[in-house]
Amino acid sequence: MRLAKTHHTMSSLSIRNLHVRIGEKEILKGLTLEIPKGEVHAIMGPNGSGKSTLSKVIAGHPDYTVTAGEVFLDGEDILGLEPDVRARKGIFLAFQYPIEIPGVTNANFLRAAVQARLPEGEELEATEFYARMYEKMDLLEMPRAFTGRAVNEGFSGGEKKRNEILQMAMLEPKYAVLDETDSGLDIDALKVVAHGVNSLRGPDLGILIITHYQRLLDYIVPDYVHVMMDGRIVQSGPKELALELEARGYDFIKEGLERAEAVAG
Amino acid sequence: MNDTSTIDIDRSVGDFSYPEQHEFDAGYGLSRKTVEYISQVKGEPDWIRDFRLRALDVFERKPMPTSWASRDLNAIEFEKIRYYLAHGQKAKRSWEEVPEDVKRTFERLGIPEQERKFLAGVEAQFDSEAVYSNIKKAVGDQGVIFVGSTEGLIKHPEIFRKWFGKVIPTGDNKFSALNSAVFSGGSFIYVPPGVKVKHPLQAYFRINAENFGQFERTLIIADEGSEVMYMEGCTAPKFETATLHSAVVELVAMKGAKIQYVTVQNWSANVFNLVTKRAVAHEEAEVKWIDCNIGSRLTMKYPGVVLKGRKARGEVISIALAGDGQHQDTGAKMIHAADETTSNIVSKSISVGEGRASYRGLVHVPKHLKGCRNNTECDALLINSKSRTDTYPAITVRGSGNAVQHEASVSQISAEQIFYMQQRGLTEGQAMSLSVNGFVNDLVRQFPMEYSVELKRLIDMEMEGSVG
Amino acid sequence: MSATILEEKACCTSAGPCSSEAPDWIASARAEAWRLYDSLPNPARTDEAWRFATLSGLLSPQECLHAGPALSKESGEELVRRSRGVERVAGRMVFGNDRLLARSGQELARLGVIWLPLLEAARQHPDLVQSHLLKTPAALGSAKFAALHLSQLKAGTFLYVPRGVEVDLPLETHHWLESGACFPHTLVVAEEGSRVTLMDYFQSVDRNGKGLACGVNDLVLAPGASVTHVSVQEWGRNVTGFHIGSAALSRGARSASLQVHLGGRRMRSESISRLCGEGARSDMLSVSVADGTQEYDQRTLQVHEARNTSSDLLYKNSLDDTARTVFAGLIRVEPGAHQTDAYQKVRNLLLSGEAEANSAPGLEIEADDVRCSHGATTGEVDAAELFYLLSRGIPRQEAYKLIVHGFLEEVLERLARPDLTARLSERVYAKFDAKAGSAR
Repeated sequence: MRLAKTHHTMSSLSIRNLHVRIGEKEILKGLTLEIPKGEVHAIMGPNGSGKSTLSKVIAGHPDYTVTAGEVFLDGEDILGLEPDVRARKGIFLAFQYPIEIPGVTNANFLRAAVQARLPEGEELEATEFYARMYEKMDLLEMPRAFTGRAVNEGFSGGEKKRNEILQMAMLEPKYAVLDETDSGLDIDALKVVAHGVNSLRGPDLGILIITHYQRLLDYIVPDYVHVMMDGRIVQSGPKELALELEARGYDFIKEGLERAEAVAG
Repeated sequence: MNDTSTIDIDRSVGDFSYPEQHEFDAGYGLSRKTVEYISQVKGEPDWIRDFRLRALDVFERKPMPTSWASRDLNAIEFEKIRYYLAHGQKAKRSWEEVPEDVKRTFERLGIPEQERKFLAGVEAQFDSEAVYSNIKKAVGDQGVIFVGSTEGLIKHPEIFRKWFGKVIPTGDNKFSALNSAVFSGGSFIYVPPGVKVKHPLQAYFRINAENFGQFERTLIIADEGSEVMYMEGCTAPKFETATLHSAVVELVAMKGAKIQYVTVQNWSANVFNLVTKRAVAHEEAEVKWIDCNIGSRLTMKYPGVVLKGRKARGEVISIALAGDGQHQDTGAKMIHAADETTSNIVSKSISVGEGRASYRGLVHVPKHLKGCRNNTECDALLINSKSRTDTYPAITVRGSGNAVQHEASVSQISAEQIFYMQQRGLTEGQAMSLSVNGFVNDLVRQFPMEYSVELKRLIDMEMEGSVG
Repeated sequence: MSATILEEKACCTSAGPCSSEAPDWIASARAEAWRLYDSLPNPARTDEAWRFATLSGLLSPQECLHAGPALSKESGEELVRRSRGVERVAGRMVFGNDRLLARSGQELARLGVIWLPLLEAARQHPDLVQSHLLKTPAALGSAKFAALHLSQLKAGTFLYVPRGVEVDLPLETHHWLESGACFPHTLVVAEEGSRVTLMDYFQSVDRNGKGLACGVNDLVLAPGASVTHVSVQEWGRNVTGFHIGSAALSRGARSASLQVHLGGRRMRSESISRLCGEGARSDMLSVSVADGTQEYDQRTLQVHEARNTSSDLLYKNSLDDTARTVFAGLIRVEPGAHQTDAYQKVRNLLLSGEAEANSAPGLEIEADDVRCSHGATTGEVDAAELFYLLSRGIPRQEAYKLIVHGFLEEVLERLARPDLTARLSERVYAKFDAKAGSAR
């Protein structure tokens, strides 16, 4: 079994031996993963393996309890930080199910989020903000009227996912976690979203894609693929691993693991 | 009970009667003497007599609740009511004198022959002694006490006194005070810890004594972890000579206990049915009132649950059918008194002709509680152009992490729907019945099987009458 | 009620109706109203109309109901400068301690529009004013205070829009209270097919000012008329107040009324919409931001008297600290008022574990072919919404603010008048910002 580098560096999102439970149930059982800046990593795994839990824990969702392990952002331990502080330090989570916020327009929402990243006392320059927002919206083929609509309210599945990527584009994170961003998208919408993500790829951004299917990875080609099962990364490899998974299913990995355990036992 | 010709359900196990043989009559009107007489005739201990007399004072002092309730209450002539009447005094008539439509109703509802005579007032007593021994054996072996309220207070004072009048204090309202002064009849049930009573206990046939229990008083205590279901009433119309029915029902669910209390009542159109029902639910206990009110001139009934222990749960499921000239003023009260308590109220009413159905609700989540939930849904269906419906909820919320939601809607039967069904060959009445049954269907399913069958038939009959 | 009315110098020693100069019919109406006020009992908590209400803070026997003194020229001018609503208006009137300080919009007379201080209108157009003045009884519990209002009637505006006239720009009234009591009145009569918008602003000179405010506003809509009425209540934090409002709508008329409650200590507000003609539609909206120990007690009635009418009520309250709100509303569909559409919704957002929201939405339906529903919800800021905002890096306090703004914004948007609501939003949010500022 080949794991990603496990020591943390000054320019990576580094997760070490992470144990997480919700209520009494342990979901992550010693997960280790490192995403260097500039790389795109994909995590694949069957339902219930803990993929979404990982994304929420990185973002600091209050429902989850971390019982052991560490998460370092460019060398800084972020586990004790509030979710908004983490976000301003550069963590972005594209939600699997983006939340609807009645009455709050997309424009106001994004302004508040961008404003929160400015130094104390500095005011957002409105025209610049709108110019930048429209540019990103064009990239994602979003109509102008969208800015006046309440955040995600009454959006189709595709619109919600595009909106997540728009926010990612506007907030310029250091590390972005895309949680099942392909779910609920038809092929056209998938291409648009992938195009948006690809345009953001670069040396200053690390991306972690969480997905159930290979399909998304045809459009956002990862540098590495990790397989997650039962709360751990059980296998890592180059992008071809995703194709192998698609062809042979998760069972072949499971069998491999069982054989390995039998040998070890 | 072998003759359950149309309803193929054996409900006999829970049927029950008490042998009470008083042939006394307290006469008309209410005074200290009446109360003392009742207490003496029943051979009660002094503490009950004193309790009754204090209640009489409260009753006399309390004004009618007409500041919020129907002014029709003022039509009650307290001085013309007999407050205690043993079965020997019951008015009798012959089967031939029973009106045809009543006989038809019995027929349609599939009421067994013997019961019909009793319900119609032809026979004063319904003999179910054999059944009585069945149930007595079935539950007695488990240590369950299931007796009349008088027997309960005399033979089991150590349990009875602890809870009697505690859930619903005498002064709760004018009619609970009245009941406290003159009560007779009703059941006393105690279920020991951990005992799960398999068969529903049923008060239906315990009507040989005391004229249906005009002022019955029921107290049910489910001890820790026990479970019991109690059923009262029936869908058959009751033909009353008395015009006032004022019961008090108190339930106590100890830690982890579950009580379901099912009522189906169909009063004749001259009756004032003014009932106080309340439960206390301790930690993780569950109390569910399932209530169906049909008939009467005015029914006022708001089953409540005081959610006293953490994670206690209360529920009221209610159906009200207000026929022409009738007023069903029903609802629910949920008093949240501990953290993480949840309550649920679902009320559906149907107003027919000039009938009026009112929902009155109270949801109280006072200060400093956390994580309480209430959900209330009230739906009203209006059948005719002069039908009336009202909704009067009152909701108070404080504390943190609480969520309370009330929704109500009023609708009428869709003319398109009726036309569609008529086009398929149904009469308008049949189509109405189907629609109305559809409206209440999700609630009817929560009633015990035999009730739900009868309820459907009853709705059919009411609807056929409403189309003209 | 042993109240003492001290009015100017003339009547400052004895209780009684206002004695300031007025036409005879007003003077006798005042006197009769005073007798009625005196004879009606004080509200009691056992009255259904006063259920949930805190009566102790509302009126005390010692309360002095005197109108404050006339303002100095300098402070009057200062208040006129401070009287700013929207940028462009068709007319504006400013009152301080119930005395007219300034007015504009006289040129409206060219269109036949009457835009006058109430007493002047009563002198110039006695029949017109008399036939509409206080014609909708205060049926929701405050009859006594409506009588008090009439007995002290002096200040306020009369707005009459003739048939077919459409006034595009809004009109504004600003009422300032410096001390004592005030009794602002607004009467709008919109003739057939006319259209007008009126904004009433109620403020104290001093943010922590005290006193009593007892106002009435009535809208009378002829067939096809359209009236938008906004009242912004920003009395000082120690003012107790009553606000009794009504709209009577004829065939095809449309009214939209929005109340914004930000100030005051205890405010009782009663609103009635009477849908008297077919095709009439009334929107009743309210935004309340209650904090500290503020208490807002709102009672509403939507009466459908004619067929094919609609009403839609949306009231939202945000509650912080130990604030209390009461909403008790009733939709009443009279017999024969078929094809009624009536909705009523109250939503309470609790921002503190000590705040208390009471809701009693009611329905009384006596016609069967209707679409009616009501709902009441009380809860906290949704945890998932909050996390979503936090995850975008928005600080917690700011996230709360955004969510609460969004919650209230829905009501303002329902007015569909961005020209009016942009400034209202600012006022609403200024209250949060001031609070957040003082918390830091």
